[in-house]
Amino acid sequence: MNVFLNDLIAYWPQILMGLKNTLLLMAVMSITGFFGGIGVFYLSISKWEIVRKWTQSYISFFIGTPLLVHLFLMYYGLPRLGIHLSAFTVCVIGFTLNVSAYNARYLMTAYRGLHKSELDAALAQGFTPFETFRLIILPQVLRLSVPSLTNQVIQNIKDTSVAFLIQYPDFFTQMQEIAAVNFQFFKAYMTAGLVYMAMVSVIVVAARKMERQIALPGLQT
Amino acid sequence: MTFWKILIILAEGAGYTILVTIAAMVAGLAVGLLTAVLSRLHRKYVDIFLDVYKYIFRSIPVLVILFLVYFGLPGIGIRVPPFLSMVVSLGLVSGAYLAEIFRGAMAAVSNNEMMAAEAAGLKRTQIFSHIILPQMFRMSVPGMINEFTSILKYTPFAYTVGIPEIMKAAMTLAAMTLRGLEIYLAAGIIYFVIYKGFIMMFAAVEKKFHIPGLLVE
Amino acid sequence: MALIEVKNLIKNFDGKNILRGVNMELHEGRSKVVMGPSGCGKTTLLRCLNLLIAPTAGQIIFKGNDITRPGVDIRRLRQDIGFVFQHFALYSHLTVEENVTLGLRKIKKMKKKDAVEKATYELERVGMFDHRNKYPAQLSGGQKQRAAIVRALAMDPAVMFLDEPTSALDPQMSREVVTVINKLYLDNITMLCVTHDPFLAKYISDSIVFMHEGVVVAEDIAERLFYDHDDPRIRQFFLSVIDHR
Ligand SMILES: Nc1ncnc2c1ncn2[C@@H]1O[C@H](COP(=O)(O)OP(=O)(O)O)[C@@H](O)[C@H]1O
Ligand SMILES: [Mg+2]
Repeated sequence: MNVFLNDLIAYWPQILMGLKNTLLLMAVMSITGFFGGIGVFYLSISKWEIVRKWTQSYISFFIGTPLLVHLFLMYYGLPRLGIHLSAFTVCVIGFTLNVSAYNARYLMTAYRGLHKSELDAALAQGFTPFETFRLIILPQVLRLSVPSLTNQVIQNIKDTSVAFLIQYPDFFTQMQEIAAVNFQFFKAYMTAGLVYMAMVSVIVVAARKMERQIALPGLQT
Repeated sequence: MTFWKILIILAEGAGYTILVTIAAMVAGLAVGLLTAVLSRLHRKYVDIFLDVYKYIFRSIPVLVILFLVYFGLPGIGIRVPPFLSMVVSLGLVSGAYLAEIFRGAMAAVSNNEMMAAEAAGLKRTQIFSHIILPQMFRMSVPGMINEFTSILKYTPFAYTVGIPEIMKAAMTLAAMTLRGLEIYLAAGIIYFVIYKGFIMMFAAVEKKFHIPGLLVE
Repeated sequence: MALIEVKNLIKNFDGKNILRGVNMELHEGRSKVVMGPSGCGKTTLLRCLNLLIAPTAGQIIFKGNDITRPGVDIRRLRQDIGFVFQHFALYSHLTVEENVTLGLRKIKKMKKKDAVEKATYELERVGMFDHRNKYPAQLSGGQKQRAAIVRALAMDPAVMFLDEPTSALDPQMSREVVTVINKLYLDNITMLCVTHDPFLAKYISDSIVFMHEGVVVAEDIAERLFYDHDDPRIRQFFLSVIDHR
């Protein structure tokens, strides 16, 4: 243990940097994925059938293909077209496309459970379709989807570990490097696992707190 | 090299991808089912054990678990072959999620029906196998499909432990031809075809076993 | 000798006295209805009698054996009692026929063919044969309850327990079910039925037991109990449930 502990201390700045990168990536993709999800959801209930269809295909494709393929496609494929993106940029784009698809699907599910008479009432009252979306649909659908959306954030922090496969210097990458130096793979991965558990726990606690705060009486999640 | 040729070369790795997916799904179902059975015992220590298991495997990234199993365990004297590492890791993770899905579905089985079965004189094991399980499985279908999708999404990790599946084939080909763009696009298409194929299969199975009025949430 | 003899039956829930010494008997081939205000312990009584809940004290003599003693074969007992619930409790993943045959096959260990034959016979008796391949969700309330009655009846129980079999039904469907239970009555099936419905009570009972706060306070035939009974608690009850127009 001593050797391993010493290395942990010696590599502390690097680990810290890795943690920072992991959290940064998680935060960015959670935010872009959140707004992306709303956008995709908006398109998926468009009155134009062609738009709905393409949006469905988009959602289906990004849920049905592994994220890693998209990352590799951009990171190793795009340079052939002369487009060189940093690992971080690739991650943000790839994760955003992916997370938006998932979030849009949660919002769709909630939307299906909505009382459509409210929407008729809003339209009848003179709200435009976009106002109806923004003022009636979205607030309800978002509330109903809180558990799914927060679960997605937990998924996000775990999925950041994939970024290491395209050389993004995240937390997991740093732990790998320590292991590569002292060959204490078991301890390194155990430590990594515990740290991920800690980060997830923080999100879980925060999410529960938020769920309680924004709950509306009578509106079930 | 035509795009068609690329597709054919990558498709050769699809066998492993499908194999890993099915094996992990079977492992996950077995683990999920076992936890469902154990949770019916309502024993305090069993429940705590199950909760801890679920929490751990839903909190740690699949990649970290896979590396721990394949690269880490040899450090304490346990060597796990690549395919088994992949199946164990994915199986334990999806088992933890399926356990939750099954738990929710079991809670949705009507108490009235269970009481009627008890009043009729069915044994506890009979109530479980004839009333609870058949309803639980049907109500879990959407959750099981999501879980399957997750498994497929993580199968490319198999390349990191040297299993020659689609991603591995794509990387090898990309290194040789420097045509990453077409190659990874082709890989994406193959994964999507596999995904759609499985989804269609599930839909067919679900239709065959569909029962009017049994709520699928 | 009575088929069921209940002696001073007591049931406490969390220190609360729900059954406070119930005495009654039921003879083979006879049918009794239990009435009384909500919460007086009618459901609790039925559930004690087939040991779905354990009595706190007292005796239940079933076919000459005290079933409150340790070592009774609970499953054997329950096979002898057909239970029909207010909310039908049909197994929602099984068709009507499968609902009926499950017990025949798994409890009575009948062969599938024989079980289906038996189910067919019983379903025909209540006019449910045409619906045998439907799932519970595809039936009306009355059809559900008729199927539930058949499910219990097909086991050839020594006695049928019915707990408010018509309360969840609208009048039209309720009538459908009353007709079926009345048929059982005319066939001399032994029955113990809890209900609030005077119409049902009158047409399916030899006598009516009136319960109040965990004890039996009267037992009589419908006519004498329904109108102008001496006991004010009974008068009050029937004033509220009988339409006196
Ligand atoms: N499992 C239980 N635990 C605690 N109290 C119960 C339970 N079951 C019934 N009770 C109480 O016993 C009383 C009688 O209930 P019940 O037998 O269902 O009445 P009835 O069927 O006559 O309307 C009620 O006050 C009810 O709250
Ligand atoms: Mg009752």
